[in-house]
Amino acid sequence: MRDVYIVGTGIHPWTGFSEQVFADFAAVAVEGALKDAGVEWQKIQAIMAGIFIYGGNAGHLSGQYLESIFGETGVPVVNVYNACATGSAAIRMAFNSVAAGETDTALAFGADVSPKGFLTAKSDNAVQDRDVIRWKMGGMPNPIYWALECRKRMEKYDTTEEDLALVKVLMSEYGSKNPDARFKKPYSLEEVMNSVYVCDPLRLFEICPVSTGAAAVIITADPELIKKADKPVKINATTMGSAIYGDPTIRISALSCPATPEAPMLSESYSASRQAYEKSGIGPEDIDVLELPDNSSWHYLVYLETCGFCKEGEADKMLRDGETKIGGKLPVNPSGGFSSHGEALSAQAIWQVIECANQLRGRGGERQVEGAKVAMAQTYGLMGNSGTTIMSI
Amino acid sequence: MENMANKVARIPNLVDWSTGEVRLMSAKCNSCGTYFFPKEHYQHRPGCSREGVEEVLLPKKGKLASYTIQHYPCPPPFKTEKKITPYGIGLVEFTDENIQVAGIITDTDLKSLKIGMEMETTTLPMYTNEEKQEVVTWAFRAVQ
Repeated sequence: MRDVYIVGTGIHPWTGFSEQVFADFAAVAVEGALKDAGVEWQKIQAIMAGIFIYGGNAGHLSGQYLESIFGETGVPVVNVYNACATGSAAIRMAFNSVAAGETDTALAFGADVSPKGFLTAKSDNAVQDRDVIRWKMGGMPNPIYWALECRKRMEKYDTTEEDLALVKVLMSEYGSKNPDARFKKPYSLEEVMNSVYVCDPLRLFEICPVSTGAAAVIITADPELIKKADKPVKINATTMGSAIYGDPTIRISALSCPATPEAPMLSESYSASRQAYEKSGIGPEDIDVLELPDNSSWHYLVYLETCGFCKEGEADKMLRDGETKIGGKLPVNPSGGFSSHGEALSAQAIWQVIECANQLRGRGGERQVEGAKVAMAQTYGLMGNSGTTIMSI
Repeated sequence: MENMANKVARIPNLVDWSTGEVRLMSAKCNSCGTYFFPKEHYQHRPGCSREGVEEVLLPKKGKLASYTIQHYPCPPPFKTEKKITPYGIGLVEFTDENIQVAGIITDTDLKSLKIGMEMETTTLPMYTNEEKQEVVTWAFRAVQ
């Protein structure tokens, strides 16, 4: 395996529902990544595409649609889906292709258009697809799952409603300074605490909505491209994890979970992060900046524990003590997180990596983490999907 | 015994009332001991021979392991004739079977919900179908 670098990144800023097609958003992000890297399209030797699940044939073959826009070159195009960790899968495949020497330069991208209306079941076959059961009989939209886990946490530890609100206060402050974020209004603790409950104990401002967005990275081991890049970012490890038997977390779309744990909570993310630590030789204590998946305020807290940044039940204290602020011991989500962006399913893992790369390249603007040398992006996808990417400069 | 006549589950093979008690239709692997629900969605311990899976009904009663209160209507395809919002969703633990199952909380004061309280399995009427049958889902309620 050889050293692999990110040399170009591109984002289409996050936004709400759009009549535009996903490929238009993807093209903006890919164009940006090519320009940033100073790479010609013909240099791309593989395309790893996150699929757009609401896009029908076009969405399921998003890589082919994208390739057609820039000009078909006959390179391998792989279209991948791992729920909200889809972007992690695309990056991991691009990394592995380049690291193994199969290709010198590869593109990973994801683009998603927020579906109009609500997310819901995608089939009508309850025997095959238990998502059908939770929607038809369970009355359980996604945040219900997070609320059930959040309540367990509040019973077990001293997590308060104020802690949950404080996460949003912090995220909205950073989001207000991020030109690519969708939500740019800073909120006070009082405003968050006064927002309506969606599913008690989680309030409206404490869960992230669905968004439109696109992100792309160019990954290379080509010495020429590395040399001409503006501060190339080394990928120390990029891994994926799936769930481990006995994980007590109730996963989105499931209707049951084990009563007695035999594995860590969010075991898919435990697995992905531990693989990344092992492969990179970098541990949580070495990370200067962290992007974690704050789908809800509960996620923000639990992910600090799942990924080993503190012991179980200690994340609330880290938050209250300001350790997770920019300038603190472990700055978390200087991007403003999912809270300020919303989920753009196949793109979000890639923008998390881009935010980390931007921090390492000193492009953080008003939310720059001073002296950041090592960064980690952590994703979470439903039904046991997760990815971790550790980068350094 | 509840009135079970002319009642149908919206999706079959999830909830049973043929014994006179409402119980969830689970399955158990006799090789690795794993219980799973729904019974069609197999789960095994890694390395299990997967031999000897049998269908089992979970006990009627369990204890509340977690809950939330849903404050806005669940979007389609969920449907109920009557407005049920706000409604509770509980995670009910069947300890001997090592499983917690999620379901709507009905016939219970939502303010009285407390982790550890005893709950029982019941059904919740959703709507009347074209055959004039009462279409139901499984649900949980506090034991009186």
